[in-house]
Amino acid sequence: MKKTVLVLLGLLLVFSALAIAQGYETMPADAKIIPLGQADTPYADAQPGVRGGIFYCATISNPKKWNDVTAHETSTTQYTGLMLEGLISTNPVTVAIEPELAKSWDVSEDGLTITFHLRQGLKWSDGEPFTADDVIFSFNDLYLNEDVETDTRDILVLPDDSYPVVTKIDDYTVQVTTSVVFRPILNSMGANILPKHALAQYVHKLNPDVPVGTFNSAWGLDTDPSELVGMGPFIVESYTPDQNVTMRRNPYYYHYDPNGVQLPYFDKYVVLTVASQDVSLLKFRNGELDALGIRAADVPILKSEEAQKGFTVLVNPDLPNYGTSWIGINEDIGLAEGTHDNERALFRTRDFRAALAHLVDKQAIIDSLYNGLAVPQWSPVSYLSPFYAGRDYYGGPVTEKDAVIFEYSLDKAAELLDGIGIVDRDGDGWRDYEDGTRVEIELNTNAGNTVREGICLIVADRAAKIGLKLNFVPVDFNTLVNKLFASTGELIILGLTGGPEPNNGANVYKSDGGLHFWHYSAADNPTEVEKKIDELLDAGVSTLDNDKAFEIYKEYQITLAKDDLGLVYTVNSAFTYAYYNKVGNGNLSSPVATPGGGGLADICYFK
Amino acid sequence: MITYIVRRTLYMLPLLIIVSLISFLLIYIMPGDYLTRAQMNPQVTQETLAQMRAAYGLDQSVLVQYWLWLKQIILHGNFGMSFETMRPVFWTLFMGGRLMWTIIVSLTTMLLTWMISIPLGIYSATHQYKPSDHTLTFFGFLGLSIPNFFFALVLLWLLVAVFKVGNHGLGVGGLFDNRFIAAPWSLAKFGNLLWHIWPAWLVIGTSGMAGLIRYMRGSLLDTLSLQYVQTARAKGLPERTVIYKHAVRNAINPLVSMLGMSLPGLVSGSLITAIVLNLPTVERAFFSALQMQDQYVIMGGLLFFSLFLLLGNLIADILLAWVDPRIRYS
Repeated sequence: MKKTVLVLLGLLLVFSALAIAQGYETMPADAKIIPLGQADTPYADAQPGVRGGIFYCATISNPKKWNDVTAHETSTTQYTGLMLEGLISTNPVTVAIEPELAKSWDVSEDGLTITFHLRQGLKWSDGEPFTADDVIFSFNDLYLNEDVETDTRDILVLPDDSYPVVTKIDDYTVQVTTSVVFRPILNSMGANILPKHALAQYVHKLNPDVPVGTFNSAWGLDTDPSELVGMGPFIVESYTPDQNVTMRRNPYYYHYDPNGVQLPYFDKYVVLTVASQDVSLLKFRNGELDALGIRAADVPILKSEEAQKGFTVLVNPDLPNYGTSWIGINEDIGLAEGTHDNERALFRTRDFRAALAHLVDKQAIIDSLYNGLAVPQWSPVSYLSPFYAGRDYYGGPVTEKDAVIFEYSLDKAAELLDGIGIVDRDGDGWRDYEDGTRVEIELNTNAGNTVREGICLIVADRAAKIGLKLNFVPVDFNTLVNKLFASTGELIILGLTGGPEPNNGANVYKSDGGLHFWHYSAADNPTEVEKKIDELLDAGVSTLDNDKAFEIYKEYQITLAKDDLGLVYTVNSAFTYAYYNKVGNGNLSSPVATPGGGGLADICYFK
Repeated sequence: MITYIVRRTLYMLPLLIIVSLISFLLIYIMPGDYLTRAQMNPQVTQETLAQMRAAYGLDQSVLVQYWLWLKQIILHGNFGMSFETMRPVFWTLFMGGRLMWTIIVSLTTMLLTWMISIPLGIYSATHQYKPSDHTLTFFGFLGLSIPNFFFALVLLWLLVAVFKVGNHGLGVGGLFDNRFIAAPWSLAKFGNLLWHIWPAWLVIGTSGMAGLIRYMRGSLLDTLSLQYVQTARAKGLPERTVIYKHAVRNAINPLVSMLGMSLPGLVSGSLITAIVLNLPTVERAFFSALQMQDQYVIMGGLLFFSLFLLLGNLIADILLAWVDPRIRYS
């Protein structure tokens, strides 16, 4: 009896081991083939690889949960992003939209309906089939469900405040209908798809036994990793706080290389939590990490060891990261309190803002604060976006032929200030307002950010040279944000995140946007320039023709940079990255995708 | 004695409540809140922010928030949820063996520090003003005055750039080398743990040694000048017996109460070292909660540290009474 039980137990173990190890019997007909190494594809510079090995990289903070829908920040989404996939994705090399879980899509004549055709025969990492029900669940029961706390809903909202209607046509066809034409909706529909069979139990709408909001705490850090299910290349296997997250290969991943080898190549993907960037640099030099995102200051030391230790330091001074960095000029200063009349009138004068733009000594900032590894910035749209106005056409090469450049020039700045009557009236060397009081402006940034503090010092120094008094006062980050939103700051240097889609900046640049912090009163009373920007932003989303949209966004960027100048842009750090040469395809790294940043995780391999 | 301990323990309760109220007010006075960072995200609308603020109860007045929090503790023993992890605060602070690792690292460091400092202190006192005394004092103060974060970084840099431990397959920082992370416990894994933990012993240990050496030295010197020591010497006892049997036993009393006082140091006091050496400690979790303004986790952490402080004081008093028969509490 005892023996039989033991034999049965043994068999059970063998079978369960088989169940874990199994994947597709043959490559699914709808698998996504990544054309590694094939000419005339974005992957021409890549190589097909071999399977095996454990990849190590590092990150600064611990994950907060495994729930992608309610996650707010990259410390969580760097893992959930690897576990999950969306209907469409952006190509890690070209940033162009390409099919992912949907193998194709059609857009109706009127542009109001998109029909997605899903790949067939795919399975979740636990072996359950992937169907249209998962898509419907993700959008209708999660993202668009008011009980679920998610900021993805904010990118799905249409200009008329309605949401897209997502319906199932059959098991592998999903239709999305919008009330108005909204170009970014295609991109937004790329939001990650979640497994209905694993998560429906936590959604009150589908399972009334659980209280409202249960989903918000589902898939927390205490969830047994074996319950986590995804469609992405890697699934979380274990987590040790302050130490590491280990991810295992998804046996049912549907990406294959041109030789028919199932991706990802790495058996395991381990992210070490290293709180200090100095220590992660040491760990990289010690050979404990295979790849690392590095700071400009780390480049010289790594370059000196590059040949000897066999790694590559990627430095591209012409390839800046996403995001913007700027001086915000508060045009509403003292409006609510009825004070600061002089400043407010000055800040609302376009020529003053232009003078300030001429005072930003970008070259000095780049040389002294970034080791030369940054580029001047002039547009609200990120350089990498296909809509960047420095490009010749949508997605075309960057030539900067239409760039609005306020070159560093003390003479031009002084001339502009003279022109608006800001001159030294009492001979003390500092410029005064018309009523004789000295122009004295406070310049803030968040204390502790040495680069931003350096920018403040450089700008204040250059301003002093033409008699414009800027007082640099660093303040705590949260205080600074409060100042920004309460319109009590004068000049503030800060940055914002960016991405390929220009409309994601609508909340910032529209006159009634929640982040239009340099001129909140524009919501009721926009200037002519702001009205034009609003119109351009509306026009940019209401055409599905990317070339047409490009022209619209180009005019928008030029108008903002030349005429609005509510934000005066500074510089943008360049992309710097290091990886050991044994990591195949690491050469494809860019600000969009790196082996350790997730985007190339499935196609990198060990040589 | 028992009634004394019970009374002291009961006093802790109102004290902790006062501590919690002050802490709560301080957190409230800190500019911004948990959602300040989300405010700067261009993709998050004001409506979503308002919804989240209401969901987290951050739209209520500070006293209402405090009262609701306190009520949950009294009625349900619920110390609140972490905004970040959506899990109970103490789970968030202690998860993954953080509490255990904190105590292991601190306790071993403390043991080592004491085992080295006390004999050195005795040696220093018995060789007062000799070159060896000055040398010990010098190195003690050197350890005290080098900032921990700097020492830890220099140590790691030495290992990587000068000794090139990577060539021997050894890692720096954290608890284990990569290959041992997922491996089951073995002698090799334990050895690897020792390899990763000794920098912590060195960095944290050296910062505490100077104090202990000086305390022990001073206390022993005071004792050595007392008449009973002269009597012992006059009786013709060997110097060894005079020092260890008569003098040290009395000189060590103040240090025994210091031992109790160092209890709170077991759970807090090595934050910077833990960050640089990448050790999982409760304090790091507390620090990251502070950075994110995850307010109930901050409260939980403060209460936890306060409790240890109060317990440490109590234990110090008890130890003192235990080693010194002249002290009696009633």
